[in-house]
Amino acid sequence: MEKQSAPRQKRPLPLSRRMVGEQAAGVYASAWEAHNAGRPVGWSTAIFPQELCEVFGIPVLYPENNAAAVSAKHAGEDFIAHAEGPMGFPINICSYARLNMGMADLMAKPGHERVEPAMAPPTFLLLANNSCTQLMKWYENLSRNLNIPIFFVDCLFNYAEEPPAPHKVKYVRAQIENTIRKMEDFFEIPFDWDRFLEVQRISQTNRALFNEIVALNSRKPAPMNGFDLFNYMAPLVICRGKRSTTAILRELKKEVEEHISHGTSTFRNEEKHRVHWEGIACWPNLGHNLKTLTAQGVNAVMNGYVTAWDIAYEPGDLDGMARAYQVSSTNSLSTPAIMSKRVQSVRDFGCDGMLCHMNRSCKLMTFHIMVGRETVEEQARIPVTNFDGDQSDGRVFSEAQFETRLQGLVEVMQAKKEASAHG
Amino acid sequence: MADVQALLKELGDVSAHPGKLLRQYRKQGRKVAGCMPVYVPAELAYASGMLPMGLWGGQVTPMLAGKYNPVYTCSIMRSCLELGMNGTYDGLSCILMPMLCDTLRGMSAAWRAGVKDIPLIPFIHPQNREDSGALEFLISEYGAVRSMLERYGDREITDEAITASIEVYNRHSEAMRDFALAASDHLDIITPVIRHHVFRSAMFMDRAEHTEKVRGVIERLAELPAHHWTGHRVLLTGITGEPASLLMLMARNSIAVVGDDLAQESRQYRTPIPEGTDPLERLAGQWLHRAGCSTVHEKNSSRASLLVKMARETGADGIVICLMRFCDVEEYEYPMLAKAASEAGLRCLCLEIDQSTQDNGQSATKLQSFAEMLA
Repeated sequence: MEKQSAPRQKRPLPLSRRMVGEQAAGVYASAWEAHNAGRPVGWSTAIFPQELCEVFGIPVLYPENNAAAVSAKHAGEDFIAHAEGPMGFPINICSYARLNMGMADLMAKPGHERVEPAMAPPTFLLLANNSCTQLMKWYENLSRNLNIPIFFVDCLFNYAEEPPAPHKVKYVRAQIENTIRKMEDFFEIPFDWDRFLEVQRISQTNRALFNEIVALNSRKPAPMNGFDLFNYMAPLVICRGKRSTTAILRELKKEVEEHISHGTSTFRNEEKHRVHWEGIACWPNLGHNLKTLTAQGVNAVMNGYVTAWDIAYEPGDLDGMARAYQVSSTNSLSTPAIMSKRVQSVRDFGCDGMLCHMNRSCKLMTFHIMVGRETVEEQARIPVTNFDGDQSDGRVFSEAQFETRLQGLVEVMQAKKEASAHG
Repeated sequence: MADVQALLKELGDVSAHPGKLLRQYRKQGRKVAGCMPVYVPAELAYASGMLPMGLWGGQVTPMLAGKYNPVYTCSIMRSCLELGMNGTYDGLSCILMPMLCDTLRGMSAAWRAGVKDIPLIPFIHPQNREDSGALEFLISEYGAVRSMLERYGDREITDEAITASIEVYNRHSEAMRDFALAASDHLDIITPVIRHHVFRSAMFMDRAEHTEKVRGVIERLAELPAHHWTGHRVLLTGITGEPASLLMLMARNSIAVVGDDLAQESRQYRTPIPEGTDPLERLAGQWLHRAGCSTVHEKNSSRASLLVKMARETGADGIVICLMRFCDVEEYEYPMLAKAASEAGLRCLCLEIDQSTQDNGQSATKLQSFAEMLA
């Protein structure tokens, strides 16, 4: 008789993770509720000034965040196939865009089965192009296909290393002000400037809390598996201006501090090496990546992606807010500017190496890595390696390549440590 | 007849060998400013006394650019970086680079890392053109470009010089629009390749000189009876219709180009620089009026309707979408164009464009089938 092993018990999720799940479910539910009641629902790019719709009290969903969630569940292939097939989009465009445009088209068709988390159809779009120019083209398509308007804040690109020049701040600030006026007309609701200040304050509290939590991972060994940070990005992306995010982050901070005081960690192996992860997660391959890293004792203690929602300004300072939305995303900065941040981060977090995701969907980030890796190698004096992958399209990723590249990086990090130990 | 052929040959030589012209201008003591695709205020460089020359890559096999370019970089940018890194662009005083797409944004870093001897003048167009601050913003950006050109050109750029330069460029644009019309009446002479060479040569020559040559071509064509073309008539849309060998395949299949919406060709000329008193405001105003281009954000893209209208006006039977491989902004518009063509009853062919390709076998088969469908 074949011996049966007991099913492996899944570790219960910490309270903070359950809170993240409940918050996301609430956001999707309120969007469906608005949809069912014939009220407006927005779809927004990930780094749009969320403060505005938060003040108006209009539900907003985030296609990039949704695409990540759907991809992590390996449920995005059909949408991507629909975008590439019947809709005719070339395979070279961003996979988040393909997934979302495929979903938007399919959800309008009778008999379409929802894939959770299912987005309610939008009645308007919020576009900020601070992550890339593809967002603009993606949202143009959505707007055209769904016949709905776009509220657009053009956040430019900082080709120079200096902070944005005054004329750039002025242009973005004017757009935020004009967007508020246009939204007042569209929603037929007056903008509550007192509430705006309150939302700005909450947003600042949340981003500061997140930074504090991330900074705790600079401890050796780290109290968190760095990949946990990917799981806690959602509250900042979809609910940056909400008090529920404050509650989640306070709970998370408490849990991380408990790990520190108990000398424990969510990283499930001895932390032999600490690396800086560069780029978006390979959402369809997250499990494999984590398993492979953990098996090698490699904790990706920090990654640059999660800092994109560190949109810092003084509440009440609209110029500051305009400036912040121009510089938060990795892709809104020049390569020297972003790489000097990475060098600092590598030092702050005591990283032994850098692992770069050459994301097929994110051309600009790939340019940053190709042009900037020498900067990190020379200034931070750590080995850097890269691997090919994609944020949503699992066809691009090769497990074997990832494992081989990681093995190579581990060997170099190990050799460096041994050389250092021997003087 | 000999005259027109001689003029066309001259322009063809420039188109095929821009490096020769660059050396010639440098020998004459003129400074040259490189202009990256798609839209740059070349008028400012011209006003500084420099010669603006378009940088649209070429048919090269990249050996060096791969250090900084992802493999999925479009062939124009990849070959531009290659030509910068291998010394072909030596002699340029500076490069103007607009941040119109993610590749250009990435290229701003790649260029600085790979081509240290040719300084970069980056700038960005406002995409929210309906917003009240867009014009003022672009005037400031162009003001910064002007200052940098003064530094690299070693000469003050006066308002008067810019105004004069605008006149040269506006006259040239008008000549190119006239040429496109005249060419359609002489499809026996103005083959797809020759048409392309006339447009491409404009990228490299002094615009005043090019206007003179093109006006010469138009005048000589006007002396000839209009040709009754019995072959197929198509429009080209995309970034470029290169390499020239691809266009030769069209001619071989009796396909004539009767109009285009190519970024390298007619898109450059269909929006005149508006009248006004402040020359920078005039240049910035031109950007606000540009339409139907994948690099320009429009609330409702006018490109598809523009193409259909152009097809009606030129009597085109079909549209060839010259889809630049790895050009995101164009790839996002492909479904819209294919749908519009189909709804308008126009045949539509998508050709993948890669400047560096030496093998057009697949395109040859596609064009042959397309010609059969048009028949």
